[in-house]
Amino acid sequence: MVALFPSREERAWVRGAQAGSAADLEALFRAHWPRAFRAAYLVVHDAAAAEDIAQEAFLAAIRRLDRFDRRRPFGPWLHRIAVNRAIDWARSRQLRAEVELAGERAWEDARDLSDETVAALARLTPEHRAVIVLRHLLGYSPAEIAELLGLPRGTVNSRLRRGLDTLKEAVSREA
Amino acid sequence: MRRELERVEIPGEAEAAERARRVVAAALAERAPRAAGPARRASRAAVLAAAAAGALAVAASPAGPALLRSVRHAVGLERAEPALVRLPAAGRLLVDSTAGAWIVAADGSKRLLGRYAESSWSPHGLFELAARGQELAALDPKGNVRWSLEREGRVRGPRWSPDGYRVAYLAGRELRVVAGDGAGDRLVEAPVAAVAPAWRPGPGHVLAYAAPDGAVRVVDADSGARLAAWRGRNRPLRLAWSPDGTRLLGVGRSTIDLLTPSLARVSSVSLGLADPGRVTVAAAVWAPRGRRYAFVVHDAARDRSTVFVQGERRARFQGTGLVDGLAWSPDGRWLLVAWRTADQWVFVRVGGAPRLRAVASISAQFRSSSYPRVGGWCC
Repeated sequence: MVALFPSREERAWVRGAQAGSAADLEALFRAHWPRAFRAAYLVVHDAAAAEDIAQEAFLAAIRRLDRFDRRRPFGPWLHRIAVNRAIDWARSRQLRAEVELAGERAWEDARDLSDETVAALARLTPEHRAVIVLRHLLGYSPAEIAELLGLPRGTVNSRLRRGLDTLKEAVSREA
Repeated sequence: MRRELERVEIPGEAEAAERARRVVAAALAERAPRAAGPARRASRAAVLAAAAAGALAVAASPAGPALLRSVRHAVGLERAEPALVRLPAAGRLLVDSTAGAWIVAADGSKRLLGRYAESSWSPHGLFELAARGQELAALDPKGNVRWSLEREGRVRGPRWSPDGYRVAYLAGRELRVVAGDGAGDRLVEAPVAAVAPAWRPGPGHVLAYAAPDGAVRVVDADSGARLAAWRGRNRPLRLAWSPDGTRLLGVGRSTIDLLTPSLARVSSVSLGLADPGRVTVAAAVWAPRGRRYAFVVHDAARDRSTVFVQGERRARFQGTGLVDGLAWSPDGRWLLVAWRTADQWVFVRVGGAPRLRAVASISAQFRSSSYPRVGGWCC
């Protein structure tokens, strides 16, 4: 479960960024970029795309900075944008791959990935990857994930369960 | 599980963070409250991000609103000149119509070079390259063929190297290079994407091209050595080096990436991520000097094209329908906006006070059954 309220420090950064402070924005960036980028990468499995997605999420956040409620934490706001965009990107690539290579591409991609965890994640659909990443990397509860992705809680739970089962199976097969 | 996800190595993680930090900081600087006075430089990212958000409305310059209003709701400028009687700046234009390739002199006179297409200038405007089916030809300004060669595939995108000693072109799916006198034609790479190659200004013969998988590659055209490669999210449709050779512009359907010669990304902006395909980049062209470029974005939902000059907050031109070409005058003071939907050319003064000059019936003036393509405005 992530913090419901922002720290005093984060509130100050957001206030400063709203007033145009580059230093405060930099502090926000340094606090949130690594996880937003990592989350996007674990969903799309493409570093350049993850960079674009996380960067676009930050830019979108900046565009809406004036409307941001400082009483709420910045992270979930950013993660919602980044993860939803990552799912869209991964879906569209999957669709292209199916058209171009009759479904072989996703499997090829998975085999190319050297890291065992990433290779195992690649066997999941983008939607399953996203809930795993939100739950286990970013620490959101199933209820929070349901809100972030606009899904029923039961769907989140079933995706988590199925995702973890697939991961376990993949990792044990690799071993 | 968390530890596993946190220890996954991501290629180029630190570099990505640094690039994003710079882009995000520039975007904040752009939205920060402004003091009265001269407009500050806007970042590419901020200008494009505004476009992505659909904020294509023009905050026109003091002299601009009336001009822009006059074009916003009509296709074509009302007071367009019926014929091209002179160019607003020195130099000559190269134009491809269905009748062939044309040279337009500064006084508006036109010369048909022959039934060629895909034309482009040599570095000092002494010759032109043009294609006709499977033939590549080097022509002088009177249309005399200096040399020509034929290859198996359709010839496209011929480009003369900045020092004049090499010509790169596509023949079918092959990237080929020939010496500037037409000798020593050879294959550099195959297959490649149908994107005109781009020579890097500076020493040597360094060439950027697009691979079929959407990667951008940089090679030494003489040795064939691959110098750098990069793959972005979208396939590049146009490649262009800055005049000083320090930046490569990779333009995708709705992305503009700015890369270093080693293909490290300096900035990257995707238009309309939330609504893919709505906002597209129709053209992007470097100014003849310095490191700024002009670009056109088309908003399909509003069927509106807007021309920006990088580093400026205000749009330079906006019109209904499609703008599909841009060309800078050699002195960098005027921008030719090829407004296909209006069948007009609009000359926009970008140096000095804003000014527009339009010329109507472009297709008819070049005896063309379709809207002509501008191949360049040269010295």
